[in-house]
Amino acid sequence: METVAFWTAVTAYAVSAAAFFGAFAFGKRRFGAVARWLAAAGLVPHAVAVGLRWAEVGHGPYNTRYEVLSADVLLLVAVYVGASAVAKGVLPLGAFVMPLAFLGMGWAVSTFGLRAEVPIIFKSYWLWLHIGFAKAFAACTLLAAGAAAGYLFRSRAPERLRWLPPAEDLDLYGHQFLLVAFLLLGVMIAAGSLWAHQSWGRYWGWDPIETSALVTWIAFAIILHFRVLHRWSGRRMAYLTFVGAAFMLVTVFVVAIAVPTIHNSYMVGR
Amino acid sequence: MNGIVSALRTARFARAVLVYLAVYSGIAAWLPWTRVDRATAPSWAALLGLVHPFSSPAFVAGVALLFASTLACTWGRRARALQLLRGELPESAVALSSAQGKDAAAFLRAQSFSAARGPVMRRFPWALWGGWILHVGLLVLIAAVAIQQTFHDEGSFELGVGEATVLSRPGAVFGRARGILAPQDPPDLEVALVSYDPFLHQRGYAPDRASRVRLRAGGDDGAEVQLDRADGARAGPVTVYQAIPDGLALVVDVPGLGARAIHLHGSGRRAEAEVVDPAGRPARFAVEAEHALDDPAGTGPLALALDSGGQRLALAPGAPFRFGDGEARVVALTRWAGFTYARSPGMPGIFAGFAVILLGALLLAFPAGVARLGEPGDEVAARVFGRGADVLARRWERQGANSPASR
Repeated sequence: METVAFWTAVTAYAVSAAAFFGAFAFGKRRFGAVARWLAAAGLVPHAVAVGLRWAEVGHGPYNTRYEVLSADVLLLVAVYVGASAVAKGVLPLGAFVMPLAFLGMGWAVSTFGLRAEVPIIFKSYWLWLHIGFAKAFAACTLLAAGAAAGYLFRSRAPERLRWLPPAEDLDLYGHQFLLVAFLLLGVMIAAGSLWAHQSWGRYWGWDPIETSALVTWIAFAIILHFRVLHRWSGRRMAYLTFVGAAFMLVTVFVVAIAVPTIHNSYMVGR
Repeated sequence: MNGIVSALRTARFARAVLVYLAVYSGIAAWLPWTRVDRATAPSWAALLGLVHPFSSPAFVAGVALLFASTLACTWGRRARALQLLRGELPESAVALSSAQGKDAAAFLRAQSFSAARGPVMRRFPWALWGGWILHVGLLVLIAAVAIQQTFHDEGSFELGVGEATVLSRPGAVFGRARGILAPQDPPDLEVALVSYDPFLHQRGYAPDRASRVRLRAGGDDGAEVQLDRADGARAGPVTVYQAIPDGLALVVDVPGLGARAIHLHGSGRRAEAEVVDPAGRPARFAVEAEHALDDPAGTGPLALALDSGGQRLALAPGAPFRFGDGEARVVALTRWAGFTYARSPGMPGIFAGFAVILLGALLLAFPAGVARLGEPGDEVAARVFGRGADVLARRWERQGANSPASR
């Protein structure tokens, strides 16, 4: 059942990614709408697959690479579908999100058959929030980077890729996603502190990933200061958004892979 | 004074402090002696006070500057928000130029602005407080961390199964770390280890330590609680945590002293404990196992011995043996477990600070704005201030006369 649900989701995401490419190639808005619908439809079997694995192994999706990446993709697609329902202009960002989702599922499946127990310290509701918000933060930052890339394309060649929203709208979307990512990262850090306090009696241990998350939060605060106080926008802000995305990637993946800490298994899996 | 406040308030200063803290934290977290497999800090680090980089003067000074900068930025921000809400827009407000056939009020209404009073229109006005609330939250957080660090108290202790101790008793606690205003003595809390399982298996989780402990604070009856490494157990302001260290404990009945639990330390197949016998001579209890002492499948047969005065004596449970000038008896071979306790009176403030920061950040995510409509015949149809005002101006420029306002 889990296998069927997982592969149904993979198929939906693959067709959705193909439809987005079609929308770009032929400039057909209808393709984009169908692609978004497919992405939303894929969420249902995907959530079922994640839920079934959760029930089977007795802990959340934060151990094997399959569990971690599959849940990452679930949150990424859910955030995209939710955001594009609120702001129609976000819909074309699916052309950036869905190929990533498909590739993420491809990477995840490499450890589909692996099942393992997690350390007892992972038995915490705060950890659910900590991990959930980390994934939502990563999703929003990727969407901000997608909007920034869209802005650069659109502002360089306004007559091309007319299917994308106007450049200034993409600029604003990028800013809004960064703001939400800043908020989510804050919740992630707070929930992580509560988890650490619950398990070890200390809320902060200056572990490399904790510090990296704090540095990323400060970096986001600096980027947002440029936007809010100095009215930076457009090309400069797009590049700063890429810097923010780089900080996110370093915190969520690079440090987690490079440094052995308690965060490894639930951030990159094994 | 005003000059100092003005300097502290500048965005350039705030950015410099943030960059300093980010770079410092980024580097300090990677210093070899701050890692889990701690290397010894070099002498130059000790000279610069960088052995503990996140409590060093350089870091504390950075945080103090961040507090000062945030305080200066927060000062006056509330008045500016109130001015904005009244429609008093700053110079940086974006102007929408008048054009034949274009209705600024209708355009702004289509962008979710609504008329407040007279020529002033607002969008998500409550969200204008986001920046101020976020800065207040940051101040609360920094102040609460300072309080927490000042009053925080933690320490480690060990208990054998069936053993009890009062943490305030001399020698009961080791590895104590406390803030400068934390109580002088450890808490007056009695902790008894009722049972201990080093390999308790809970579904979905790898086997790990779990204890049943009885906690009694002051004169109350106490309570027996289950403890594992997932969560601590509270007794008043003190929380007790299961720690990682554990080992074998030898319970020895010594005439005149009663039963004593001797905690053996070691790794692999051997564990031992140095003691002083009742006659004041050094002695060593040792246990050797067939398998590793932390083998979940069991240690296999154990050999107990006492090394004293250059002689080795094999011990057996229940059998008397010479210890000092009298006879003692091995009552049992059981396990000891490590625990920590913590008192953190500043924690509620820290979480309150985080909550306020997050509320501010949540409000900032809304595109709040204030617009003031121009008079008929003015060159400027409206002036707009807020997040996305520049986008709004470009939309206004794109919009054709009498065309439906687009979102």
